[in-house]
Amino acid sequence: MDGSMTETKTALSIKGLSKTYNGGITALRDVSMDVAAGEFLVILGPSGAGKSTLMRCINRLVEPTAGHVFHDGREITGSKANLRLIRRDFGMVFQQFNLVKRLSVLTNVLTGRLAYRSAWRSLFYSFSQEDKRIAIECLARVNMDHKAFQRADTLSGGEQQRVAIARALAQKPKVILADEPVASLDPKIARQVLVYLKEAASDLGITVLCNLHQVEYTREFAQRVVGMSRGTVVYDGPAANLGDEILHTIYYRDPDAQKANGDAE
Amino acid sequence: MADQTLKMVPGISAAVERVFAEMAERKRWRLPHMLMAAVIIGFLAWAADGVNLKPSEFAAAIPVIGEYFYRMWPPKWGFSETIWQPAIETIYIALWGNVIATVIGLPLGMLAAGNITRSVVIRNGAKAILNLLRSISELIWAIFFVSAVGLGPFPGALALGINFGGILGRLYAEAMENVDGGPIEAMRATGANRIQVILFAILPQALPQFVTFNLYWFEVGVRSATVLGMVGAGGIGFELVTTIRLFEWRETGIVLLIILGMVTVIDSASTWIRSRIY
Repeated sequence: MDGSMTETKTALSIKGLSKTYNGGITALRDVSMDVAAGEFLVILGPSGAGKSTLMRCINRLVEPTAGHVFHDGREITGSKANLRLIRRDFGMVFQQFNLVKRLSVLTNVLTGRLAYRSAWRSLFYSFSQEDKRIAIECLARVNMDHKAFQRADTLSGGEQQRVAIARALAQKPKVILADEPVASLDPKIARQVLVYLKEAASDLGITVLCNLHQVEYTREFAQRVVGMSRGTVVYDGPAANLGDEILHTIYYRDPDAQKANGDAE
Repeated sequence: MADQTLKMVPGISAAVERVFAEMAERKRWRLPHMLMAAVIIGFLAWAADGVNLKPSEFAAAIPVIGEYFYRMWPPKWGFSETIWQPAIETIYIALWGNVIATVIGLPLGMLAAGNITRSVVIRNGAKAILNLLRSISELIWAIFFVSAVGLGPFPGALALGINFGGILGRLYAEAMENVDGGPIEAMRATGANRIQVILFAILPQALPQFVTFNLYWFEVGVRSATVLGMVGAGGIGFELVTTIRLFEWRETGIVLLIILGMVTVIDSASTWIRSRIY
């Protein structure tokens, strides 16, 4: 931790975010939270709590039905105009890694640079020396530089997720959105991946939002936790205070209380 | 970029140099690639000579082709009364050709698929039969069948069925070989036998592709059936050739328009069916 002044600055401010899908299912209901720059925030909740929708509403892979998201004081919801520039600032890490399996590890990481370059140049699959240097540095950070020229599908799951983190880092993002990044990995490799994500926050000052459903990892890695259940925030506070009662609220909410909330399901 | 440069960790610049060096090394190994490119270009040039590929003559041909289409305008709409029946016959031929092709192609495709048939001998035998059916064009098959069963749409449907059976069988086999192996393993783990594994793990996964292939080859069949008429195997092709031989260009125009219409309708119908099946 380098306790600099930026530590307390609000990077991301989410206000009253709601999302109802076309089928009528409400995934998010009036979600609000502030995230400090360089913070490593865990969003904890069971499957279907709306964690993935929340992330996708931030980088606009999903358009929210209502509410606003502010990044460094600028609103990033609404306008389609700067979508490419907005998304460039948000690196994303997925549960299933989502590498292009037939491309090399290095090319996969280089795709993190696409939003900086024109489609014209990409037509020739060509990247600048600068882009290549950045990509290799990011690979080295996650200790994957020795496999730079291998095809992505020759890697193990843990290795693929490390490459995916390198791809997100190559964007030089302000924020990383990690959607269940360790759900498909064994505990040892999962911890390694979480360490890399946490280092992105502590060493590089990147704000990291990390969706998890495992309480164990949350207690181990997070300082602050946002607990979600059925599309709403039910807890926002230190990981140290995650007691049985709070966990019960997150994971086993009283079905009657859900009805009282007017739940769709 | 100042505030966002990655913090230097020990060994990172060494890693960058090493990867860059390997990149350069890999570029230098491009000689075999260049040789291969040279071989391909040489081969294409050789084949171009074989087909007398002359861009100048192609350019000269364009106005002549344009002249044909000019003469076809306006199409003789009244002629459609004479040809609507052969047009429908063409669709019958394509439809039954497709049914026959499926009946022939599905079992042969299964015998040719590596994850269904273990025996290499049977597999290669099935592939050889499929190759034979496929390598003889439907037009040649139609000539055979016309002399065997007489003029009319029946030899046309048989000819399409045999030739397309060879094509569909090959495509079916590939679709079955490419299904996800996980469910196959799961079925085997339940104690299911070979037939059950095929029925419950392979066919359901390959089915959408089968449907896509059949719809596409039905469309091809309609086009193909228009040619079969030339050798007396029924359908609209007979009228097409007759109008061309008699220089009745405006009649040719309406025949071509009807074929275009049929293909367009089938194309949109199959798009709709495919959107429902997945």
